[in-house]
Amino acid sequence: MVSTEQVPVTVLTGFLGAGKTTLLNRILTEQHGHRYAVIVNEFGEEGIDNDLVVDADEEVFEMNNGCICCTVRGDLIRILSGLMKRADKLDAIIVETTGLADPAPVAQTFFVDDDVASRTKLDAIVTVADAVHLDAQLGEHHEAEEQIAFADVVLLNKTDLVDAARLDAVETRIRKINPYSKIIRTTHCEAELNSVLGLDAFNLDRVMEFEPDFLESDHAHEHDDDITSISFVSETPLDIEKFQKWFGKLLQTRGQDILRSKGILNFSNTNDRYVFQGVHMLMDASTMGAWPEGQPRNSRVVFIGRNLDSMGLKEGFESCKAA
Amino acid sequence: MDQPPTKPPPGYRKTSLEERALKFDSGAPVTGAVAIGDTVASTFGDGIVRFFDPSEDAPAEVHAHNGVVLCCAADRNHLLTGGDDGQFLRIAPDGTVNELANFGSKWVDCVAASNGLAACSSGRVAYIWTSDRSEAAELEHSSTVGGLAFDANGRRLAVAHYGGVTVWEQKKHRWKKSKLFWQGSHGAITFSPDGKFIVTAMQENALHGWRLRGKIDLAMTGYPAKAKSFAWVGETPYLATSGGYEAICWPFDGPQGPMERPPLCVAQHGENVATCVEAFPLLNAVFVGFQDGAVLVSEIEDSKDVMALRGPTGNEVTAIAINQPQSHLLVGDARGHLLWAPLKK
Repeated sequence: MVSTEQVPVTVLTGFLGAGKTTLLNRILTEQHGHRYAVIVNEFGEEGIDNDLVVDADEEVFEMNNGCICCTVRGDLIRILSGLMKRADKLDAIIVETTGLADPAPVAQTFFVDDDVASRTKLDAIVTVADAVHLDAQLGEHHEAEEQIAFADVVLLNKTDLVDAARLDAVETRIRKINPYSKIIRTTHCEAELNSVLGLDAFNLDRVMEFEPDFLESDHAHEHDDDITSISFVSETPLDIEKFQKWFGKLLQTRGQDILRSKGILNFSNTNDRYVFQGVHMLMDASTMGAWPEGQPRNSRVVFIGRNLDSMGLKEGFESCKAA
Repeated sequence: MDQPPTKPPPGYRKTSLEERALKFDSGAPVTGAVAIGDTVASTFGDGIVRFFDPSEDAPAEVHAHNGVVLCCAADRNHLLTGGDDGQFLRIAPDGTVNELANFGSKWVDCVAASNGLAACSSGRVAYIWTSDRSEAAELEHSSTVGGLAFDANGRRLAVAHYGGVTVWEQKKHRWKKSKLFWQGSHGAITFSPDGKFIVTAMQENALHGWRLRGKIDLAMTGYPAKAKSFAWVGETPYLATSGGYEAICWPFDGPQGPMERPPLCVAQHGENVATCVEAFPLLNAVFVGFQDGAVLVSEIEDSKDVMALRGPTGNEVTAIAINQPQSHLLVGDARGHLLWAPLKK
């Protein structure tokens, strides 16, 4: 088949009132000359300033593929397929979810559905968080935690309404859940367009750029969030068979609790880098060519999820080292 | 279009059908095609509907929708269309457009017609208009409607959705429902010509069928891709389906249908997935369009003669239709290229 350029899809999450619609309208009204389609769950009272707004029903379906945590957005498959039949080319598609939506089914749709994956690609998950209320929301709604955990970018909005100490505390809490997201502080969602769109965060090429942003104040906070993250580095090359056996079983048995995972691996039997990233049990992986000159040739993996302490991750990862 | 034009592979020779065909570049993806008497109507991603008449040199063009024409069906000598502009239209081949309903920002995803009845769906609701078109019956479902099909006499409407099918039957001017369950998301749907079976194309690489008497399940799996297109062919009849590397044809004779019987597979075209099928009743044959743009025709039973009608173009075949006298064929693809040709020299 002729390869068609894939249209990037940005997923916009965040709790009600955090500023999703404000961000959307900022993106859409900027003089950029691009053509966007926006998929919304329901037309909000604020209104969205775009001529291509599609009304969706956030229908989350279970797949019959035997993967217990594999749910997809059925409406998204239908709508993206309809949008791809348009005569005019779209530059990007933005999917706005309801405040209580779990981002996993949206992301999984791009892993599972061949039609969606051939014509469109997941660009990034952007979560708008309310600096005033995020703290309380994280304690009360597991969806709020999931939206932070899945985010490639967290837009920490309404920063003018809290003092500096409170802002730092909120940011620390975000970091504890997800040290890999890029946090952008804003007051009225005034973010640069290129900091939220066109990030290509799910491209395996970009996985290699990740560097966790651990804050020094990590130990100071008093919350015990359900979702945490953990990462490992190994200077010793890994054994590919040992790794695949351990990792395959880990995703199969604990995939429900592992929200996102990514890694760059240095296997003993090859000069190529091996890169992967996953959402729950679903994984995308590929060899990415030789290691660049002058860069450390080591293996790095990261997990974001629930009950990570109970998975024996450190021991499992250590046991993959080549003898 | 800003994409580079695709060329046939080097050394490729035109088929005789291609040599006598009217070729047409519409600039918008072909989203559907259906026979309306002598003519074939085709629908496009820019809202245009075209009627191809064997006695005319060029198609008649109707600017019907303000967006993508998502679905179409023949309603006797008219065309029904649904669009992403929320409009449900009835269009005459002379270009007269009649709006049956307008759902605003909600898409019209599916349409169907039979015996004077017209139906469409928008979101979770299916609407049925009787022949006087005065008022629609509203049939609500638990999730978005993926497919609509009437039986031959218009007594029943089958509605595909997540988790199975709802069959609505007209009894004393009321529509009464019964349900068929199967986990997963169901799309395009069809009744067997005798009305005894219902088959759906799923959002997975499978079809699912039910024998209505006893609600017996028929799982039709093993496809390498989604089976989005199907057509009933011949006396048996066979349900020819896309989604395989050839047309997969399931026999529906006998009380069990295709249960525990292998399908017949015809018209292989290398490792290309079949994307569109259409019946050629005259020869008990099936037209098969592929992801690389090629179109083959093959008899299903006997000699299994296979003939190439269109060579590879690089653009997925999205629509095939033959007019009712079976004299002319229309092929459309994802890039908006059309081929309209007499089947005989």
